[in-house]
Amino acid sequence: MSDLDDFKATYFDECSELLNELEEQFQAIEEGERGADRLNAVFRAIHSIKGGAGAFGFTGLVGFAHAFETLLDYVRDGRIELVDEVVALCIRANDIVADFVAAARSGETLPSDYGAEEKARFDALCRGESPDGDENGEPMEEFDIEFTPVMVKLPFAEDEAALTLDAEADAFEEAPLAGTDGHWEIRFIPHTDLYARANDPLLLFRELAALGEIDVKALVADLPALADFEPFGVYCTWEISLSSPTVTEAQIREVFEFVDGDCDIEIAQLAAMPAREAAAPAAAAAPDESTPAADEPAVSFADLAAEITPVAPPKPVAPSLVAKAPSSEGAAEEGDQRKNGVQSIRVDLDKVDRVVNMVGELVITQSMLTQQMDENLRVRYQELVRGLEVLAQTTRGLQDSVMAIRAQPVKSVFSRMPRLMRELAQKTGKKIRLEMIGENTEIDKTIIEQLSDPLTHMIRNSADHGIESPEKRIAAGKPETGVIRLSAEQAGGNILIIVEDDGQGINRERVLQVARDRGVVGPDQQLTEEQVDQLIFAPGFSTAEAISDISGRGVGMDVVLSNIKKIGGSVHVRSVPGKGTRMTLRLPLTLAVLDVMLVKVAASPYVIPLSSIVETIQCSRANFSRVPSGAQVLQVRGEYVQVVDLALRFDTPTQVESDSRFVVLCEAEGGVKVALIVDDIIGQQQVVIKSLEENFERIDGIAGGTILGDGNVALIVDVQGLKSSISHQNAA
Amino acid sequence: MRVLTIDDSRTILAMLHHTLTKAGFEVLQAEDGQQGLDVLKSEDVDVVITDINMPIMDGIEFIRNVRATGHHQSLPILILTTETSQEKRDQGRAAGGTGWIVKPFDPEKLISVIHRVVH
Repeated sequence: MSDLDDFKATYFDECSELLNELEEQFQAIEEGERGADRLNAVFRAIHSIKGGAGAFGFTGLVGFAHAFETLLDYVRDGRIELVDEVVALCIRANDIVADFVAAARSGETLPSDYGAEEKARFDALCRGESPDGDENGEPMEEFDIEFTPVMVKLPFAEDEAALTLDAEADAFEEAPLAGTDGHWEIRFIPHTDLYARANDPLLLFRELAALGEIDVKALVADLPALADFEPFGVYCTWEISLSSPTVTEAQIREVFEFVDGDCDIEIAQLAAMPAREAAAPAAAAAPDESTPAADEPAVSFADLAAEITPVAPPKPVAPSLVAKAPSSEGAAEEGDQRKNGVQSIRVDLDKVDRVVNMVGELVITQSMLTQQMDENLRVRYQELVRGLEVLAQTTRGLQDSVMAIRAQPVKSVFSRMPRLMRELAQKTGKKIRLEMIGENTEIDKTIIEQLSDPLTHMIRNSADHGIESPEKRIAAGKPETGVIRLSAEQAGGNILIIVEDDGQGINRERVLQVARDRGVVGPDQQLTEEQVDQLIFAPGFSTAEAISDISGRGVGMDVVLSNIKKIGGSVHVRSVPGKGTRMTLRLPLTLAVLDVMLVKVAASPYVIPLSSIVETIQCSRANFSRVPSGAQVLQVRGEYVQVVDLALRFDTPTQVESDSRFVVLCEAEGGVKVALIVDDIIGQQQVVIKSLEENFERIDGIAGGTILGDGNVALIVDVQGLKSSISHQNAA
Repeated sequence: MRVLTIDDSRTILAMLHHTLTKAGFEVLQAEDGQQGLDVLKSEDVDVVITDINMPIMDGIEFIRNVRATGHHQSLPILILTTETSQEKRDQGRAAGGTGWIVKPFDPEKLISVIHRVVH
């Protein structure tokens, strides 16, 4: 049933977009924009979610969405006033819809009463109770509509028989009850409206013919002169006799379902079924006897019947016509469907990833070719060299283009935050304004997907621990309303996402105290202010005395750090007491390809991400000194930088003279520099990152591996990891 | 046979497309009523299946517009609706809708309904 899976994937994609849109709409609504457009958009989105859910049999979602939709409908047409309580309820309901969607997607089962409380409030509202009333009365009628989702049956039965008109195969109907007799007389007088809606008596007769043997007569006594014909005029009355041993009145009524109200119709069952052969003549006379007392509104049926000369009994409806397989007509053009009004296409992320991977391999091959061009070859094959240069450029262009396909504005994550903020403000009683900058900054889709939780957590943290209560703020001479600023910007090969608040800053004494109490920091360990700030991300650390409703969801900020690390990013926090806290997420632009500097340590190749390199220095010219603890430091323009000898760090003794080695000066998080000593610097290139963890395990100081042009494996140095391990060593 | 499908939900469009092409129809798609009208300007279709709740131009207005143009008066238009209530359906019919299909639709039901309104 891969078709169904495909549809589900489409559905969930669509749901994500709709939920985002709902989020935006509700935000605007909450801010006071309560125009019809917004309400309609919200209604449509919920409606679409419900529609798809029905198709897949997500009953819980359908039920809740339906109730929500009904409420929205009431709001839309003004039966319920959209006061703040109702908005809050809608926003809550929106979350519940999102939960239902998420559960449906992951295959989890939500408790059967999930959302029941909200649903009860919908009912109460629709019954006209006040928004804050919480009586749980009987649900109103509208909600009693039974939804019976019908699973989509895919694919079709292979034989075309399944496609023929067969009313008995109708899955929506009960099995036809055997008619007691099986001979029916139907009188049918169309109204003009029937034609105006593009219905056609002939089609109805065809439909009837599928139920049994029919005989159709047109009563044309009222036909005007040809000159007086109106194209949509109705001049005929039709009499149909239908013979079938099994047909029920309900089946016949169903044929006329679409023209109900657009015609007069009488259906009567004859007492005895005439012999088939005699059907036609008998039927002509039959109505007179069988339905003499029929309530005839306008025309006297008996009169008409007496006058008519059966006009060419539209013999029509041969089974071959009725049972025509639709494919006979359309098959030739099948697959030749034109799309209209579509400016974008949807591509499965897997397909994009395949392209990304192949481009990655292409980058490797290209750099391998370049590497193999030694000086001799360069001189002898200048044309080839030029060709390779063009190839390098094209490869780079191709890579950028492929990455651009995966890139998406961070807006999709940012847009969820204002609501979170309002909720937080409400719960804490603090006044907080959220400012957002750089929402259009683009990052790889995979990274964006991983951003939501960490950002949510950081903002909760800022609102909970950072921003003070209005009283405190006024006492401190600050504006009553606190500001949390969420910004995104591109900085070199990284994206920086910054959550900044103008709150009280990190209480370092308390943080350190808690860290010592919990054993995160040893009793004698001395930490710099910055290291203390960074402790809020340490595993097992949480400053909230009582786990609050807000930031305490059972996880600490360490989850933020581990989530961000997972996508190759890092977190840095900087706090000024009384002034505020700034948390910076540094994220890679893309997860796939990295610009690196290739170096050698103990004859093995390593690569260092170019984005973290500040400069390189020859060891002979470097100015090393030792600090009392015994650690080596490097003085660069008046600044002391910690030194890590990669040969020692990775425990791979090197034979290279120390003076002919090199220093690669790198900048880790928060502008902290670290000097890495390597044996040799080979050059700059692009590499495709391969995860070590996937096939091996995580190693401190190593961010991953890569395959070089010559087929050798090089490890990617994790500058941030090395830097923090120094801090630990020094601190210990 | 050519079918124009109009729905703002990609899921529904995809399902209709799958079901209809499998049954041998040629399928055109539009995401709202306005797009649907644009398609009808340049393309001949045998039947239209349209959603009611859509942005820009909803299904009711779409049907009204189609019926208002002379040469589409006999074009069968089926209303796709999840509304089990009579209200939307009646509005659609009042505007000139030929018949309706209740979502979620069963593929066979869908095909048979189309055949009920198309020659």
